[in-house]
Amino acid sequence: MDLKSILKNPYVISLPTLIVPGLSHFLLGKKVRAAIFFVVVLSTFFLGIFLNGGIFFLKESNWLYSLASLGEMGMGLTYFICLLTGLNRTSPEIISSLMFGYGTTFLISAGLMNMLLMMDAFDIAIGRKVYE
Amino acid sequence: MLKDHFFTLFLFSFLVSLFFAALYRIDFKSGVKSFLKTFLWMVLGSLAFAYLMFFTGN
Repeated sequence: MDLKSILKNPYVISLPTLIVPGLSHFLLGKKVRAAIFFVVVLSTFFLGIFLNGGIFFLKESNWLYSLASLGEMGMGLTYFICLLTGLNRTSPEIISSLMFGYGTTFLISAGLMNMLLMMDAFDIAIGRKVYE
Repeated sequence: MLKDHFFTLFLFSFLVSLFFAALYRIDFKSGVKSFLKTFLWMVLGSLAFAYLMFFTGN
């Protein structure tokens, strides 16, 4: 079984987006779209980090933060790197910062956008969605 | 500048509109149209909502 035939599997082709946003679209030959998705999703995520958005994990003090962590997890590898390195991990300093709400919105949105990219790649792979 | 409320709203709307225009539109022309529509709705809608909260708050 070669790499090409593995990548034809819609369940497999939707996963590379979790490593690099837009990678699934790139592998499907949608290079311009892949570049746009890469820039937009990563910009949204890192602007969220810069604006002091919180990186949450499942068990948080507030259930809304736990819910937010599910959205952030959509970023895949980038999220887990931030989580493991402790970058913007929720602390009283982060939560009380002026731009915490905005930053967190950016982070959750980036994760949700990445999830949409996974579903889009799946749809393209099974032929449900046809671009030009 | 990045920590300005209006600029943040503007930036967020720009990124989200660009994302959805690239995701759901097939050709460039309809993509630009969709981008402008979403962007304007997001910016104007958010401003209207913000002013509504400002004027109805205690």
